[in-house]
Amino acid sequence: MVALKIENVWKYYGDTVAVRDLNLECDDGEFVCMLGPSGCGKSSTMRMLAGLEHISSGDILLGDRRINDLAPKDRDIAMVFENYALYPHKTVAENIGNPLRLAKVAKHEIRKRVQEAADLLEIGHLLDRKPMELSGGQKQRVAIGRVIVRQPQIYLFDEPIAHLDAKLRARMRSELKHLQQHLGVTTVYVTHDQLEALSMADRIAVMHEGVLQQFGTPAEIYSNPVNAWVAGFVGEPAMNLIACSCAQEGNAVNLMHDGFKITLDDRLAKAALSSGERDLRLGVRPENVRLTADPDDGMIAGTVFSRQLLGSDMLVDVLSGGDHIRVRTDPKSPFEADEKCYVSFDFDHAHLFSAETGISIV
Amino acid sequence: MLIEAKTSFVTVDEDHDYAARTIDYEPENRNTAPRRRFHLYLMLPAIITLAAITIYPFFWLIYMSLHKIVIGGADRWVGLKNYAGLLTDEKNIQGWLMLAKYSGLCLSFEILVGVLLAVILNNSRFEKVLVTLVLMPMMMSPVVAGLLWYYLYNGTFGWYHWLFQSLGLLGETSILADYGSALWGVVIVDIWQWTPLITLIALAGLKRVPRDQVEAHMVDGAGPIRNFFAISLPNIYPFLLIGILLRFMDNFRFIDHILAMTGGGPGNSTRILPVYLFDVSFQFFKLGRGAAIAFTLLAVTIILGMILVRVFENPAQKKALANQKD
Amino acid sequence: MASRDIVQYDTGLSRLLSVLAKVFLAAYVVWTILPFVIMIGSSMKDLLQAFTLPEVGDWAGTSALVHFTPTFKHYVALFTEESFGTYLSNSLLASVGSALLAVILGTSCAYSMSRYEFRGKKDLLFWIISTRMAPVVAVIVPLYAIFRNFGLVGTIPGLILAYTTFNLPFAIWMLKGFFDNVPYAVEEAAQCDGATRFQATLMILPLVAPGIGAFLVLCILFAWNDFLFATIIGSGAAKTLPAATKELVQPQNVQWGKIMAAGVVTTAPMMLLGLLIRRYLVAGLTMGAVKE
Repeated sequence: MVALKIENVWKYYGDTVAVRDLNLECDDGEFVCMLGPSGCGKSSTMRMLAGLEHISSGDILLGDRRINDLAPKDRDIAMVFENYALYPHKTVAENIGNPLRLAKVAKHEIRKRVQEAADLLEIGHLLDRKPMELSGGQKQRVAIGRVIVRQPQIYLFDEPIAHLDAKLRARMRSELKHLQQHLGVTTVYVTHDQLEALSMADRIAVMHEGVLQQFGTPAEIYSNPVNAWVAGFVGEPAMNLIACSCAQEGNAVNLMHDGFKITLDDRLAKAALSSGERDLRLGVRPENVRLTADPDDGMIAGTVFSRQLLGSDMLVDVLSGGDHIRVRTDPKSPFEADEKCYVSFDFDHAHLFSAETGISIV
Repeated sequence: MLIEAKTSFVTVDEDHDYAARTIDYEPENRNTAPRRRFHLYLMLPAIITLAAITIYPFFWLIYMSLHKIVIGGADRWVGLKNYAGLLTDEKNIQGWLMLAKYSGLCLSFEILVGVLLAVILNNSRFEKVLVTLVLMPMMMSPVVAGLLWYYLYNGTFGWYHWLFQSLGLLGETSILADYGSALWGVVIVDIWQWTPLITLIALAGLKRVPRDQVEAHMVDGAGPIRNFFAISLPNIYPFLLIGILLRFMDNFRFIDHILAMTGGGPGNSTRILPVYLFDVSFQFFKLGRGAAIAFTLLAVTIILGMILVRVFENPAQKKALANQKD
Repeated sequence: MASRDIVQYDTGLSRLLSVLAKVFLAAYVVWTILPFVIMIGSSMKDLLQAFTLPEVGDWAGTSALVHFTPTFKHYVALFTEESFGTYLSNSLLASVGSALLAVILGTSCAYSMSRYEFRGKKDLLFWIISTRMAPVVAVIVPLYAIFRNFGLVGTIPGLILAYTTFNLPFAIWMLKGFFDNVPYAVEEAAQCDGATRFQATLMILPLVAPGIGAFLVLCILFAWNDFLFATIIGSGAAKTLPAATKELVQPQNVQWGKIMAAGVVTTAPMMLLGLLIRRYLVAGLTMGAVKE
């Protein structure tokens, strides 16, 4: 069942286009992340959903209601703000209970539900404090409490954990995901952090410059990015995108680069030929690059530029023909800086993008 | 699965810091009709009230300045005669010069003493108590301050007159009774009442002097006096500028203590322009002439106000004022 | 904050400077306090005693400043011979009335000025601030003429309205600065919680309540201390304390004892109010340009 439907929505600020012809559907109970860098239109979209901004054109349907012209309070939504937006003069309990108070729920009922929400978020012991006395993480929990105390049609999260430190963020990711599954309320979650999106979302909507680039499950987005921009934005360390030109020599299809020449396998060769494009970008994730000391057929020679230990992995930056190739390898990898080395790509997980349009060829 | 080929595409800028985020919307920047109505309802009562008690009188002022006002009779149109008269009115010109001299004296002493006091008070042991003590005169009604000092200056039973005499500064004549010293008499009252304001402003500035600047200067080998001129003064300058402008405008606004002490005398020795304006309007009831003077005074104040707002709004000034806040 | 003190080392110069500073500080405190001491002292002295000064140069005689037999007859006289009870209530009504009017109208106006963007906003703000800076003597003549037409001269409502000319722009300007510091997201959150636009506005009022309170007090202070409007617009019937105090100065008979007592009565409440809002004083007196 479709819970939220965004149809041909545009948003202008004066002459600037913030959102361009957006179409999106969320299923009931789904956790949808809107992912993109700042200014990509994701926040504007969320604010249009909440009713904090007017919709320039198009429709937004919540369930079967068109909510374009409804005030926020009539939309049956609940939202968590980036900077928490707590009421500083109210206690935690009053903050969480505020939506219920506005809905004129009976006092004892409010108390009960606030307690439940607080217990769920493990802030039950803080109910009498004021926001000023809380840590960032606790404030964030209060802001979330204010949302889950209700059962609206949709939850809106606007970068809710962006201001927390890295450790806490990791923990909140898991908790939020658990909470959402437990409550089963359709959720739209805005973030600029691809890791948040990949780890929490049922589906991710990647946005860039006001345009929806790709909408799919995290696995799809990660392994089948529709264009080089999505490929580069999602994934950390980022995908290698190497500009090459494509040339046919006899039966072989080769990618020519200043530093090397590689012969494509059948799958890639077919796609490259049928696209008819000459200038391509080869996309390979660091984990799909192999690093060895001994040369073999079709390997690329390079020198180690730098090595970074990431804990469970080692990221080796190999310089070849003026391009950096990131390789994710074993932490015990013996390569030192300036050492000569050889890399090869796993073509089963490689992508080709048109250099001109960026669109994925395969 | 929903994958569409995209029309708009930009290559990845790998140097771009995607985490550096800005707000990509402006709140309430779309003036839709309900929003406009909501804010209009909130603003209009105040604006209408203010217009009624300021704009309306302002036009009245212009009207009056162009007429000979006959109390209980019909007003007579005189054109710019009231203004022309000002040019030849010696007391008017004298009033402006007096005002300049009075303001200059008040301001220079207030700034000198005020800043010195602020520097001494800053980080001193009983700063809080002392500042509170020192700012007491500001709370006093200026007319009461005038009466109090009028009493203190009294030639027969004033304690300050006794003090001046005992110090050999004055003879038998009270400070207010002498042409030469009367202006000083009123200036002293202004200094007594308003130096604390400069002190408070300078103190606010001193609190924002970046600690690293002072420390760097100390490491470079500067002493306390060099420190003041090289670091404190440049840092509190933007604050002082505001203090100066505010005090300057207040010197135009408040003549209460002068009215209480000398009423402009002896002779015209303390008759600064606003006092003269008061006399013309309420002693001689030349309301048309008074309106003309008032209009010129108002014009000068508004120009000063524009400068003040310009200073307020100046980005460098704003930055200086906000320096190290919180 | 002790931790922020800059380390000081003893040198000859710094020791000399610190002694000089202490002397200057002591002298300044005496200079500030002395008039108050004399005012309070004289208000509680018999006139004869008050008028007795030591011989010129007789420094020991200054003990008379504090050694005297106190009497409250001047205070009593204020409320029996003169009608200072009425003047006191006039002062209260006029200043509190105008402060309330200014803050109520000012709060709603300042809120929109802070939240709403429109063309000409800058000019409107400048106009508002300039009305506050206008010299009272310059505007009082036409104001008097208009108020006379409406029968407002010599009435408390007239005085309230007159004080509003400077208190309302003050309140708008200061409170706008206050609202500017309240994040808009709080109101948005309230709306998402189910509040109407207006309820959301009400919801943030408690956040600015301390500011509203402080500026209410400052408005009272400005109005209370006014003299010109009180004499001209208040003209006799609506006499406030400063105006009444000044009227005790009569050509043939300056009643100094009563004047000093009246001075104390007029000043003391404002001192207390000033202490109460000490934190907001600098911002209030500099139109928000300087904050402590």
